[in-house]
Amino acid sequence: MNVAVLSESPADEAALRFLVGAVLGRPPRLVAPGFRARGWPNVAQVLPAVIRHLHFNTDAQLLAVVVDADDSVVHGRSHDTPGYFHPHCRMCQLRAVFRQTNKKIARSPRPHASAGGVLRGVGVAVPAVEGWYLCGRDDSVTESAWVAGQESGYRPYSRAELKLRVYGTDRPSLPLQIECALREIERHRRDTRRLEYDFPGFAALADDVRAAGRNQSEGRLAP
Amino acid sequence: MIASVAFRKFKALRKTQVALLPFNLVIGPNGSGKTSLIESLLRLRTLAPLPQATARRDKSAPEGPQITFKFEPPHDALTALISCTSEEVCNLLEIHPPEAADWPALRTRLALIRGYVLDHSVMGAPAKREDGASLASDGHNLAAVLARMSTAAPDEFSALTAHLLRIMPEFHSLELVTHPDGRVEFGLRLAEDGLLTAAELSQGMLYLLAILTLAFDPAPPPLLCIEEVDRGIHPRTLREIRDALYRLSYPKSFGLQRAPVQIVATTHSPYLIDQFREHPEEIVISQKHGRAARFERLSDRADLPELLREGSLGDMWFSGILGGVPDEP
Ligand SMILES: [Zn+2]
Repeated sequence: MNVAVLSESPADEAALRFLVGAVLGRPPRLVAPGFRARGWPNVAQVLPAVIRHLHFNTDAQLLAVVVDADDSVVHGRSHDTPGYFHPHCRMCQLRAVFRQTNKKIARSPRPHASAGGVLRGVGVAVPAVEGWYLCGRDDSVTESAWVAGQESGYRPYSRAELKLRVYGTDRPSLPLQIECALREIERHRRDTRRLEYDFPGFAALADDVRAAGRNQSEGRLAP
Repeated sequence: MIASVAFRKFKALRKTQVALLPFNLVIGPNGSGKTSLIESLLRLRTLAPLPQATARRDKSAPEGPQITFKFEPPHDALTALISCTSEEVCNLLEIHPPEAADWPALRTRLALIRGYVLDHSVMGAPAKREDGASLASDGHNLAAVLARMSTAAPDEFSALTAHLLRIMPEFHSLELVTHPDGRVEFGLRLAEDGLLTAAELSQGMLYLLAILTLAFDPAPPPLLCIEEVDRGIHPRTLREIRDALYRLSYPKSFGLQRAPVQIVATTHSPYLIDQFREHPEEIVISQKHGRAARFERLSDRADLPELLREGSLGDMWFSGILGGVPDEP
């Protein structure tokens, strides 16, 4: 499958490529270069242009994008009700951008390079991607622990603490960041179920990736 | 090394002070005192090794320009004061207490402060090998510094080369060539063969190489000032610039056992500012009001956490929310 990645840094991109491959069970073919955004809300701002570009100018089949939730509202089951949209949930926001952009593209008379459209792959790391990296190493770090902390007003950990636990410093160099990310997610190479269970924001991405994989193998790529 | 600098009537800095951390990125409009801050540190460097002035301030005269420096432990009992004997001459350095026993040790370190306004037009030139003790303020002896590092500090030279080639994978090696007249020149060999001489390298490559040369200096100064530290660098490479500077200021984070280098750097790049989202306390904004300016730490803003939820630091600075933008007619 031809996969494009939109991320905040080369470290996030390396991890995201690996995880998409782990979910698919085979390494994806990556569309170069990796697309970058400068954090939230810049990701949502550049996303329509990236989708358009991929659609009209490349053979990308899936665009994988992951953002940190930071302190935003965490996507819950109730958000998945048809027609529902939580304005402060980044998952809902990014999915809406995909929906609206793909709708506009479908109406466009321009010839489409991408056979059948660019499918969505959206994940939200709660509260930050370092939470995913600690999955399977630190049982106290889960999406539900964070949500419970949001509700009680007592955060179980901060983003800065998660980074310190993963990198051993609050100022990791880029190579160290990539090395630590890849070392930690290696645990999920053969089986991503634990990561999906502990982090529904990852499970949503995994579902999107599998759906795209099924679409591809069944040869129907219409969005 | 330096804990704070306070200004009185020094150019645009009429009455303001700034506490300095290990790393400081100063932003603000042109003419808002960013360069004056660096100038004050370099003036302290120049005056510190000289015999203490015998002239005394005329305490009955109206208050003139004055710069007050306080220091980190173990020199925190010391204060250095630069004041002006006339409008033009600001070269009177006083130490309090005057007979401080630790002044000789401190002055030796102050004399090592370095300031940089790198200039790509001279950095690629061949240089005399013996001129490579430390990088000159415009970087004109970059080739000599690299040549010296390659023989006197081969581990640092290898680490620098590895770092550079990771950022620019189109190259295979950093090479040094000695001319018949003894001058040395550097070049980058392309992975697909062929050598780009220093004169053929882009401005951005020269700036990047100069910053890395400072970052991997085997004997770095206690304090480093760099103007327009992002100059010529692609926005996607700015993370590497930040890392190179952090390598100096936070050696422990890089597994290095040496004293931290205090850094004062300036920039006009919102993209570089974005790199400090996790450490907004490292950003100093110089706020200009008319002809007067004052310094503010970004982390002093009570609403910063809320603002950070709404957008990137760079965008917010550009928007004017954080201040530090030019006056408009
Ligand atoms: Zn939602």
